[in-house]
Amino acid sequence: MSALTMTATTMRAPAMIGLIAAALVLLALAGVGFGSTWIPLQDVVGVFLGGGERTQSLIVLQFRLPRVVAAALGGGAIAVAGYLLQKVTRNSLASPDILGVVDGAALGVVIFLAGLSDESNALTTSIAYQPLAAGIGAATATALVFLLSGRQASSAIRLLLFGIAVAAVAKALTLVLMLIGPIYRTAQATRWIAGAVNEVNWSEIQVTAIALLPAMLLVLLVARKLAPTDLDETSARGVGLELPIFRIGIFILAAALTAIAVAFVGAIGFVGLMAPHLARMTVGRNATAAIIASFLFGALMLIGADLVVRVLFAPLEVPAGTVTAIIGTPYFLFLLMRKQSHDG
Amino acid sequence: MTDEPISPRIDVRELTLAYGAVKVLDTLTLPVERGKITVLAGPNGCGKSTLLRAIRRLHAANGGQILLDEMDISRLKSRDLARRIGLLAQSPSAPEDMTVEELVRLGRYPYQSMLQPWSRDDARAVEAALAGTGVVHLRGRNLGSLSGGQLQRAWIAMVLAQETDVICFDEPINHLDMAHQIECLEFVRALNVEHGRTVVLVLHDLNLAARYADKLVFVKAGAVVASGSPSELMTETLIEAVFGVQSMVITDPVHQRPLCIPIRNAAQAAE
Amino acid sequence: MTAVTATSIERSATALPLWAIYVVLTVLVGVAMLMSLVFGYRIYSLNDVATALFASDGSEASTVVAGLRLPRAVLAPIVGAALGVAGVLVQTLARNRIASPDTLGLNAGASVSVVVASAVFGVSTLAGLSLAAALGALCASLLVFGIAAGAGGLSPIRIVLVGVTIAGLGNAIVYVFLSINEAQLQQLLFWLAGAFVDRPMELAVNGAPIVAVGFVLALLLSRALDALQADESTAASLGVPLFLIRGASFVVVSMLTGAAVSMAGPVNFIGLVVPHAARRLVGLSHRRLIPAAALIGASFATFADVVARFVIYPVEAPVGAITGVVGALVLLVLLMRRAA
Repeated sequence: MSALTMTATTMRAPAMIGLIAAALVLLALAGVGFGSTWIPLQDVVGVFLGGGERTQSLIVLQFRLPRVVAAALGGGAIAVAGYLLQKVTRNSLASPDILGVVDGAALGVVIFLAGLSDESNALTTSIAYQPLAAGIGAATATALVFLLSGRQASSAIRLLLFGIAVAAVAKALTLVLMLIGPIYRTAQATRWIAGAVNEVNWSEIQVTAIALLPAMLLVLLVARKLAPTDLDETSARGVGLELPIFRIGIFILAAALTAIAVAFVGAIGFVGLMAPHLARMTVGRNATAAIIASFLFGALMLIGADLVVRVLFAPLEVPAGTVTAIIGTPYFLFLLMRKQSHDG
Repeated sequence: MTDEPISPRIDVRELTLAYGAVKVLDTLTLPVERGKITVLAGPNGCGKSTLLRAIRRLHAANGGQILLDEMDISRLKSRDLARRIGLLAQSPSAPEDMTVEELVRLGRYPYQSMLQPWSRDDARAVEAALAGTGVVHLRGRNLGSLSGGQLQRAWIAMVLAQETDVICFDEPINHLDMAHQIECLEFVRALNVEHGRTVVLVLHDLNLAARYADKLVFVKAGAVVASGSPSELMTETLIEAVFGVQSMVITDPVHQRPLCIPIRNAAQAAE
Repeated sequence: MTAVTATSIERSATALPLWAIYVVLTVLVGVAMLMSLVFGYRIYSLNDVATALFASDGSEASTVVAGLRLPRAVLAPIVGAALGVAGVLVQTLARNRIASPDTLGLNAGASVSVVVASAVFGVSTLAGLSLAAALGALCASLLVFGIAAGAGGLSPIRIVLVGVTIAGLGNAIVYVFLSINEAQLQQLLFWLAGAFVDRPMELAVNGAPIVAVGFVLALLLSRALDALQADESTAASLGVPLFLIRGASFVVVSMLTGAAVSMAGPVNFIGLVVPHAARRLVGLSHRRLIPAAALIGASFATFADVVARFVIYPVEAPVGAITGVVGALVLLVLLMRRAA
């Protein structure tokens, strides 16, 4: 196999990925450093290496680092989910939002918060179960979307519409529950829904990582199988892609990733829309490279958004998901304005 | 030549296919001989494209079966089927910024496994496909920058890279200009004559069908009306019955094949 | 026009003659409004209602009916009608029966405008908020259609995806303000779901003329809109000044949506399902669709408002939740039957 057969983009893919990863590390360090007390980079590195001042070490390890890591994992996971969805629906405008996953997760969270609170508005079980509730909500919503769409699931636009319908029902129910529940929970739920990274702790991160690892491995394994999705449906099936089954499998994987991400960091679906675009632009079409790049960009975006929020809005805790949506939408719209050739 | 009858490469037996309540194919039977060019022709909506797609198992049958080398195709795994029957879709599409080489490489999809990403066989097949269709010099070009004829060749190269014994073409020349139509069909014939591939072709143009077919099949209303050599089928009576056109059939002086000259719409003639 | 075109567009889908349909629909609106006055936290008799309306005697019944329920009973039909008609126009403009003011982000645009206007610019007058809402809806509609059309053709999936994104963006912005203004959180949330409760009568009084004007304008556009249902080239060759008609329709949609949002917040799904029902009843001609959609929208919104009082009794649910659930269920049924 000759090296000449690699195209220019694929040749620079590893280099690009290295660059993005480096940017990510830098941003993460900045994210850890920034806060009510600014901790300079050398000190941050010092803490990681085991030394460092005690108060600094506490701040970094207990407060700042979990937040940054959670943002990285959540952003990365949902970015990969977005990539999968865009590939399988053959539409670069698809995002994890469209499956009703996010709204289902929100409903799960609200049911959990409202349902498991006693009269004094204290939670009767540990808050650690909230991600589980979110995950179950997300999974239920996705399952519903697929069950209802049945054979129509192979059409992107039909699936989108079923997703909108299921999402609408979930949104309405969520709203009702938020209104009859205690106000404190409502505020909590609202912040979560808008995408809040600031309330994670290490045990939650552990669970996220454990859940994420097998999912990501699976994604990388099937990455190569995604290649024919660039083609029209007939040709893709002509080279042996079992489209209906394959599609459902990918959707489930994407939904699982989204559920995991959303369970811990709230509704950050927009990251899943944009990160794959950036990935494709920088590393080209190779699926494995694009998946890795999507993950990195997703992590970058969410850490960046969280940083922006802290810089601009401190001491208010404006959810990072909001920021990604606000910053990202103009870019997304600009993307749409460019001539899209191959979209369904 | 043995005395035993050679079993058809593809044997369509009593195939019924319906979209909901509408029967598109009705107990259709068609043996497809190996190593020949079989052309399916018929009026609009007769089901010829559906038949082709059914052969490639893009539609599930509601009744009857399709045998490939005496094996029911519904029992085959997708990978295996993709290694044995290739299909050039009617309106294929791919991202404009995909290169020719990337497209052709997709033809090796049924041969790739998780453990073995890209083998020497794959590389060899791709090179052969590029060379065979004469697009080696275009390998790094974006699909969007190609002319209609070049693009068609790139797609054919992809199907070639699949290295299947049977290749199906679903109306491959509809959108091509005259020069490229001939080029494409000559290439298809070369595939058959020089490389022994079994070809099943759906064509709209009756005369081109007659010119290139070893076996011509007239399909109407989801059933095979007639099949045989072009000279057997291209009679004025049969053409009127199947296509609803009154015509005169002469012999093409260049290719020594039947040539149909349409005169008038039979329905109008009856008024 | 040939007989074929006339029958296909003008034929009523049911056996009843057109005038009978309109009568039934109008009666339905009246019934809904009556129910809105009778049912609620307390159920009052028709006698009480009559007293409250015509010979107010200062009793609790009278205060509640005249002071609290009457504004709702008047507001709901107006908002419902506005959104129903807006829905018809949007679906024609988008050539897509699953488009609606809310899924295309118009409601979100109006919401953002209102929230920004009140939080940032301190606008508090009803007129000001209505204007803000209308402007927001207009901007959103221009954005969505402009972008979707930009890359070569108004493909349905493009419009819906752009609309969903704009809606998402609008919601995100609104949530920023929500997070900042936690004190008003409950209130804002309720408003954001769309509600007819606790709205002063002036809202209805101020909004009604806008809706009426929008309605009339929509009627005037009906012929052109009928032609617009065909593809671009056909419509153009029929002599329809596409740009003008589209522009005028956008303005009308924005007026109607803006008025509705400023009166009751973004009430979802009315604009989606009402046009479908209207089409089933009176066919495809806009001259019939628009009045039918207005009437059906009016009764839908009012009935939803009544249901909203009982779903989580004794607490009031936001009417947007009811229309959301019902509308989404209807959408699901339509999708599953491939009727949409």
